Parts: sequence; C-alpha cells; structure tokens
Amino acid sequence: MKALILVGGFGTRLRPLTLSVPKPLVEFANKPMILHQIEALKAVGVTEVVLAINYQPELMLNFLKEFEKKLEIKITCSQETEPLGTAGPLALAGDKLIDGSGEPFFVLNSDVICEYPLKEMIEFHQSHGGEASIMVTKVDEPSKYGVVVMEETTGKVEKFVEKPKIFVGNKINAGIYLLNPSVLDRIELRPTSIEKEVFPKIAAEQKLYAMVLPGFWMDIGQPKDYITGLRLYLESLRKKSSGKLARGPHIGGNVLVDETAAIGDGCLIGPDVAIGAGCVIESGVRLSRCSVMRGVRIKKHAYISSSILGWHSTVGRWARVENMTILGEDVHVGDEVYTNGGVVLPHKEIKSNILKPEIVM
Amino acid sequence: MKALILVGGFGTRLRPLTLSFPKPLVDFANKPMILHQIEALKAIGVTEVVLAINYQPEVMLNFLKDFETKLGIKITCSQETEPLGTAGPLALARDKLIDESGEPFFVLNSDVISEYPLKEMIAFHKSHGGEASIMVTKVDEPSKYGVVVMEESTGKVEKFVEKPKLFVGNKINAGIYLLNPSVLDRIELRPTSIEKEVFPKIAAEKKLYAMVLPGFWMDVGQPRDYITGLRLYLDSLKKKSPSMLATGPYIVGNVIVDETAKIGEGCLIGPDVAIGPGCVVESGVRLSRCTVMRGVRIKKHACISGSIIGWHSTVGKWARVENMTILGEDVHVCDEIYSNGGVVLPHKEIKASILKPEIVM
Repeated sequence: MKALILVGGFGTRLRPLTLSVPKPLVEFANKPMILHQIEALKAVGVTEVVLAINYQPELMLNFLKEFEKKLEIKITCSQETEPLGTAGPLALAGDKLIDGSGEPFFVLNSDVICEYPLKEMIEFHQSHGGEASIMVTKVDEPSKYGVVVMEETTGKVEKFVEKPKIFVGNKINAGIYLLNPSVLDRIELRPTSIEKEVFPKIAAEQKLYAMVLPGFWMDIGQPKDYITGLRLYLESLRKKSSGKLARGPHIGGNVLVDETAAIGDGCLIGPDVAIGAGCVIESGVRLSRCSVMRGVRIKKHAYISSSILGWHSTVGRWARVENMTILGEDVHVGDEVYTNGGVVLPHKEIKSNILKPEIVM
Repeated sequence: MKALILVGGFGTRLRPLTLSFPKPLVDFANKPMILHQIEALKAIGVTEVVLAINYQPEVMLNFLKDFETKLGIKITCSQETEPLGTAGPLALARDKLIDESGEPFFVLNSDVISEYPLKEMIAFHKSHGGEASIMVTKVDEPSKYGVVVMEESTGKVEKFVEKPKLFVGNKINAGIYLLNPSVLDRIELRPTSIEKEVFPKIAAEKKLYAMVLPGFWMDVGQPRDYITGLRLYLDSLKKKSPSMLATGPYIVGNVIVDETAKIGEGCLIGPDVAIGPGCVVESGVRLSRCTVMRGVRIKKHACISGSIIGWHSTVGKWARVENMTILGEDVHVCDEIYSNGGVVLPHKEIKASILKPEIVM
C-alpha cells in the first residue's frame, strides 16, 4: 500500500526553528515530525511513502536514506517546481501512487499530529465502498475553518462550507485521506485545492465519506499549537504506553525524556515537557509546558514555561523564559536574563531582558 | 605574497540577507562582498588568499572554486572550530601565511569597503621598516570606536584607546593590516583580540605604524551602513572609472546597472542605486538610494528608496518601499502596498502594509 505526505513549502510559521531544518525534520516529542506519520503508515502495512516537497530536497533526501534503512519502508520525494496546492502534488506523484493493484492510497498533511487510526480508516473505506474517505475532527470554533457537512449515520459527505457564518456543523477536515486510484483521474497537474475543487465534486456524486477522528488532533505548524499539541500527545501516550513517560520524584504530570539526557538534583519537570537527546538540565531547574531540543543545556535554578528551546541552545542560571519564547538553534540566554515571548533567530546571544514579545534577529 | 581575510561568523547583523548566503557572498554594488577585496589583493600581486571562516564552509568552498579559476589566484579556507577572535585565526592559518620569502602578508576584515590603496601601503611598510602597518581612517565620532593614537608625521602608533571619553584623536582602525611574519610568533592559538592584545604590544616596542586611509571607508556589515557605503563606493567609482556607471535620460546621480538588467520607460533611477543581473524594472518606476539584487522584478509605478531588495523578490505595482526596508530572498510585495522599514525574511508575501519598522518572519 502507498501513501503521500504533503510536506509543502518553507515552514515560515515555524520559524525560527525552520531556519535550521526543514519543517518535517523538526522534532516533536523527541522525534522528527514526519517520522510520527511514517511510523503510523508502516504500522498499517504501507510499503512506500512519497513526500511531496518543494523546498530543500537535499536535506530531506539525506534524512530519508537513514530512515528508509531503519524502518524498512521505501521513501521517495516528489518535488514540485511550482507550488501545486493541496491536490496538484497528487497528480505529480501519480505514477508512484498507482501500482495496478487497485488499492487505495493514503494522503496525509505533514503538520498534523493525532493518533492515526489508519487501520480503522481502511475498514471504514472498505465498508462504505465509496471513492474517497476523509478524517474529520470536531472543533469548538468551526467558523474559523472549512466545515464538512455530513450525514451523521453513514458519514456520507454532503458539502464543504468555508468559514461558515451560521452553524452548519462542527467537523473540519483533519488532513488525512484514503483515496481510490480513480481520484487521480480527477486532478490536473496544476495548482489545485483538494478541498475546494476535488472533494466537492466527489461529494456531489455521493462518493465521499467522512470518519470522525477518535482522540486528539492538532495542526502543529505554528509554535502555540505545537505546545498545545505536545500536551495532547503526551496525554495520549499516557493512556497507550505510559512506560515511555518519565517517572521520578522530580517529575510532575506527563513528561518525555530522552535516555541520553541528564537531569540534576532538585529539579521539577512537567507537566507537558519533552527533553531531547543529549540535553543537560542542571540542578534546581523548573520546566513546564515546554519542548527542549537536542543538545540544550539549562543551567542551575532556571525557570522555563510554555516555550521551545532550539537545538544546542543554552539558558543561563536563574534565567526566566516564558510565554511562547522560541529560541532558534544555538541561542544563548545569559545568566539571570528574562524573556517574555522573545522569538530569537539562530546563533544569537541574549544578554539583556526581553520584556514583551518580539523577534530578535 | 599572501593575504588573510577575516570572514568570521554568522553575519547576523546583515539578516535577512545572510539567511540565504554567507555574508562574504552577499553582493555589494553587484559583486560579492569578498570579491571586492580579493580583486584588490590580486591587483597588487597577492598570489594566495586564505579565508578565515567559522560558518558554512561548503557554500564558501563552492564559490571559491568558481573564482579561483576566473581570477587566477589561489583561495583556501581556514576553518575555526571555536571562534578565535580577531587574532587567533592568524595563528590557525600560520602555515599558509608564511613561506620562506619572509615577505609581509595582508590581513583584511571582510566587512570593509574602501579604495584599498594596497600598493601605497606596501611602500609605506617598507619605508618605516617596522614590524606591522595598519590603515586608520578618520571618523566624526571617535568615542564610539577604538581610537589609534599616533605620531602624525611618522605614523608611529603610541597606543590604542577603546571608546575614549575625552578626545585623544579621531583615527580608528580601518581593518586593513600588513604584517611581518614575526607577528605570528606573538599570537597564540586561542581566542585573541588583535586590537587589545597583539597591537598594543607591538606599539609598545615602537614597531607599529599607521597610515591614514585615503578615500572612503565603510563597514558594510549592517543594512544602514551598507546603503551609505554604496553611496561612497559609487562616488569613488565616478572618479576612477566613470564608464562603469549607467548613463541615460532616466538616470540621475551615480547608478550602476548590470548589463543583463532591463529598465522600462519613464523610470527615474538614482542617485546611489545598484541594479543586479537579470533584474526587470518596469515602466514608471522610481528608485533612489537602494540596492536591487539579482533577479528582482519591480512592477510599474513603484517607488523604492533607502532599501535593499533581496534576490528574486518582486515589488508590486504602485508599491511604496522606503526607510530601510530590507527584503530577503524571494519576498513578494503586493500591488499598492506600503512598507516603512519592514525587514522581511525569505519566502514571504507581503499583502498588508507595514506602517512602522518591524521584522516579518
């Protein structure tokens, strides 16, 4: 079985992290974002994954060689020379997705984190016999999104309504599709939107069905949602494989710590924290609701909350880092410095306080 | 004869331009910054240039192969594994700088733009017979810099005073040195400052002489000084090689236009403008005091002043771009948009006006 992951463009919303690595390779819960999806696909029997990209193919290709071997799944790239939207890339990768077996193929949006109930989705697709299945997820404020209006019992999709002004439903497109090869005949090789052009046609023919995604869902393409997504993910991890979470007197709530990280005495870590490979957390440090990337050193008595610390950065003694502070790669926050929402580009030193959210270039 | 160019680090002050290229390869007056210096060195007989770098060696090395062949000069890199300051890199590159000839070698700071009177400097060095020569330049506000206190008639340096509170002189270090090989014996392979540790010792032994730099001088390592430097450079070009400047009814003041650029009707270009290869300037455009990098398209009736437009960007019809707006690579300012000092990272679209200076990430 095959799958396409829509990786897309420049990842500008996740800057400054994406100034150092392309977005799919930015770690989420200590694992490259795209690996969460590739592993879920492998688990359900996908043998080949195509990444639809339009930026930095060399970096992606190096990463892929490594993971092809480790995971034993074939990974290739399909590179757009012009942005093709959300459907165009399927046409571009057409040859790789169809193999004559007639099997449907998955399409995933690379920014999505969820439980990936792909086995259930295959069964759902087989049972309704339509041409395409899409996952939808319930949200509180549907008016901000594209709402999928569906028949509740069968899941048959009636229509899509972009940012509805009156209430038409509260399910939105979760960015996970299972499509029959015939869908490719509907897509031309040009910039095309799957939600605005392709799915409405399939829905009009009564061949599009929606399944409500069980469990959590988050689009982690921007820092605030990344942090919220981490909380949801760790919560889900606690229910499914709590053995992976850290335990100990210095841990409170859900915390993930790489085995090569070192944590000093007197720390209080959690809730909702991920600490990456090779990190050093010195004694007396408080961490909550934050992501600490590979190779970071946090010095004594520092306090960090609701922030992301980029690879190989350091936070000084008694520093206070909070409120969506995002440190890019190799950023060094001086001792006793305060940052309230500073967004710092790579290779910088922060020697004075950042009192209100701002970009430091 | 040999030379070392101190290229240094991340070029963060010249972001967002340096998010696309390492600083020495950012174009200044339509030529990579470092090429201005390499050409000046070649012109006086330097056969080997060593670049002391600590960032992105692969990108630099590719560029070098290109220019080694074109210029017929040997170019190598000396890569610091830790930042070595302004003197340490000389120790690191020691073997490359000394040959048995006993000849002195040049050391240049890569951010400096000037007329590079290197032949005069060699003559000066021979005539005083000291161990080291340094270029100094006159500035209006010496208290912001390190001032070089010297004997006016001979140029013999008495001492260096960092940011003097009282007036001690108005000559500062211009970042161009000519050093005897024996200077290398004074420098250890560790982070060292040439101004604070090495030169004061040589001055105390009365072996350091300073020559006042004729013509203009500018440290173009940050956007504001880059724009001022362009004015000074084009001014100098008018005196030395006026045929390199553009002429025509739509040109005012000093303007340099690459031969592959196109300019439409009814434009008014200048003063102090550089337009790079492959640029398209549509009709009715007003440009003043700005740099337009390779591959930029400026649409009809736009007005740009005091700004830098990065590679392959576009500026829309009737757009107004001014006051130190810096567009990174591949930035697209839409029609009729106003940008007052917007600093825009690569691969962005500006669809709404930027009313006051801010970073757009």
